[in-house]
Amino acid sequence: MNEITASILLIVVLLVLLSGGVWVGLTLAGVAWFGMEFFTARAAGDAMAMTIWGSASSWTLTALPLFVWMGEILYRTNLSESMFRGLAPWVNALPGRLLHTNVIGCTIFAAVSGSSAATCATVGKMNVPELMKRGYPENMVIGSLGGPATLGLLIPPSIILIVYGVSAELSISKLFMAGVLPGIMLAIMFSGWIMVWALLNPGKIPKADSSLSFKEKIYESRHLIPVVLLIASVIASIYTGIATATEAAAIGVVGALVLSAAQGALTWDNFKAALFGATRLYCMIALILAGAAFMTLSMGYIGLPRQLAEYVGSLNLSPAMLMVVLGLFYVVLGCFLDGISTIVLTSAVVLPIIQAAGIDPLWFGIFLVITVETAQITPPVGFNLFVLQGMTGKQITYLARVCAPYFVLMVIALIILWLFPQIVTALPSHM
Amino acid sequence: MRKFLDGLYAAAGWLAGLAMIGILVMVLLTILSRLIGFSAPGTDAYAGYAMAGAGFMALASTFKKGEHIRVTLLLGALKGAALKVMEVTALGIATLLAGFLAFYSVRLTWQSWEIEDISVGIDATPMWIPQIFMALGTIIFFIALFDDLVLELQGKRQVAVNEDAHHE
Repeated sequence: MNEITASILLIVVLLVLLSGGVWVGLTLAGVAWFGMEFFTARAAGDAMAMTIWGSASSWTLTALPLFVWMGEILYRTNLSESMFRGLAPWVNALPGRLLHTNVIGCTIFAAVSGSSAATCATVGKMNVPELMKRGYPENMVIGSLGGPATLGLLIPPSIILIVYGVSAELSISKLFMAGVLPGIMLAIMFSGWIMVWALLNPGKIPKADSSLSFKEKIYESRHLIPVVLLIASVIASIYTGIATATEAAAIGVVGALVLSAAQGALTWDNFKAALFGATRLYCMIALILAGAAFMTLSMGYIGLPRQLAEYVGSLNLSPAMLMVVLGLFYVVLGCFLDGISTIVLTSAVVLPIIQAAGIDPLWFGIFLVITVETAQITPPVGFNLFVLQGMTGKQITYLARVCAPYFVLMVIALIILWLFPQIVTALPSHM
Repeated sequence: MRKFLDGLYAAAGWLAGLAMIGILVMVLLTILSRLIGFSAPGTDAYAGYAMAGAGFMALASTFKKGEHIRVTLLLGALKGAALKVMEVTALGIATLLAGFLAFYSVRLTWQSWEIEDISVGIDATPMWIPQIFMALGTIIFFIALFDDLVLELQGKRQVAVNEDAHHE
C-alpha cells in the first residue's frame, strides 16, 4: 500500500473517531496504533506503553502540573475582587474608562495562570456585574473580556507553550520569554481599540466615579501588590536563569499558597478543591499528550511527516505564503478542536515543514499560540465563548459577534510579528 | 458494587492528589539542596515519576467528572435513539482502546520487573515501582469506561457537567 492511501486512511480514521465523540487522547493513541499495526512491521502495543511512559514521566513536563496548580490556587482567592478595586482608579482617565480593567485584569491574571478560560472566568466574575451596574454598553463589556482573556495562552506561564515546547523539543524558558513582548503588544492593541471605540461613541461610556488622590489610588491597589510581586519574581527567575521553568513553577505554587493564606482564603476545602482541580486538569492534558507522543512515534515510523514536508517543499511556496496557508489551516482547525489538541495533533507533521522552510520554531510557536487564541473566540467550539455563555446566558452567535473586533486585532498582530520577528526573538536571544 | 466502584475512583483520585504534592516536594528539594548545599540525588527523576503517578491515577476520576476533552459537535445535535447508538459506539471504542493501554502498561511493568530494569539516571530506581502506578491507573480508567458503557446501555448514565472545569 502506498503512502498516499495510508495517509488518507489514517486521516479518515482520525476524523471519524474525533467527530464520533471518542475522547481526544484515546483517539490519537488509537490512530497511532492502527497506523503502526497496518503500515509497519513493528509491534505497536509495547512501543505504545514505552512511549507513553516516557512522555508521562519526563522531567521537562513537570512545569506543567505545577503551573496548573498555581493557577487553580489563585483562582480560589479574592484576586478578581482586588483586581477590579485596584485597577479601577487608575484607568478612569483613559477613554473607555473602566473597560480597561478587563484588559489589564486579563493581562495580570494571564501571568499567573496558563489558561485562557480560567482567565476569562476569574476576571469576568467580578468585572461583568460591576461594569453592567455602572451602565457600560453590554457588547463592549463582554467583548473586552472575551478577547483579552485569550492572553492567558500567550503570557507566561502558559500551559500551551509548555505543550508546544515539549513537542518541538524547545527550551520552555525561552518560549516563555518569547511570549512576553507579543503578549504586551496584544494587550496594548486591545486597549487601543477600546479607546478608539470610546472616542467614536462618546455618549456610551458612563461618567467617571469620583477621582482619588495618588495616595488613595495606591491604597486601593494595595491588594494587587503581592500578586504583581509574585508574577515579577516568577518571570524574573526564569529570565535571569536563576531557576528553570519547573523550579519557577514550584516557587509559584508556594507563593500562591502564601498569598491565599494571607487573604484567609486557604481553607482545607479550598486547598483540596485547588489540588484536585489541578490534578484533573493536568490529567486531561496528560492523556492528550500521551496519545500524541505515541502518534508522533507512529507517524515517524510510517514516514508521513517527512514525506509531507517533502511534498510541501516541492510546491515551492514562499515562507510568507506558507504562513498564510498554515494560519488559515489552524484557524479552521481551531473552530472544531481545542488548542492543546490542535498543537499536539499537528506538530509531528507541521514542524518538519516549517523547519524545512527555514522558519524559526521559536517564532512559529508564538505564531501558533496566537492562531490558537483566535480559536478561543470563534464558534462553534471556542472555550472562552463557552465560559462567557455560562456567565451571561447569551447566545454563542451574539458572543462571537462582540468578540469579532478582537479576532481582527489578533490577525493584525500576526502580520506585525511576521514583519518584525524581533518582537518575538529579542528577549530569548538575551538569555 | 456502585459504592465500591465510586470508592475506587475516589481513592485513585486521592492518590493522584498526593502525587501532585510529591512533584512539588521533589522540585522544592532540588532548589533547597542547591541553595543550602546538601545532596539530594535523583529528585528530578522522582518529580517525573510523581507526575506520571498524578496523571495516570487521576484518569478515572477526571473521566467520571466529564473533564476529558472530546468533540461534542455531532453528539450535541443528536437526540433519542441515534444519540444512544453514538454514545455506545464512542464508549465501546474508548473502552477497547483503554483496555489495550491497560494491558500493555501491565506488560511493561511486568517486563521491567522480570528483567530488573533500572533507571539510567543517578536515582537508579527499579522501573517497575513507578510504573506500577501507570498499570493501576490505566486499569482503573478501563474499569471506569466499561462502567459508563454498561450504565449507558442500561440507560442510567449521567454525564457530569462541571461548571468549575476550565480546560485551557
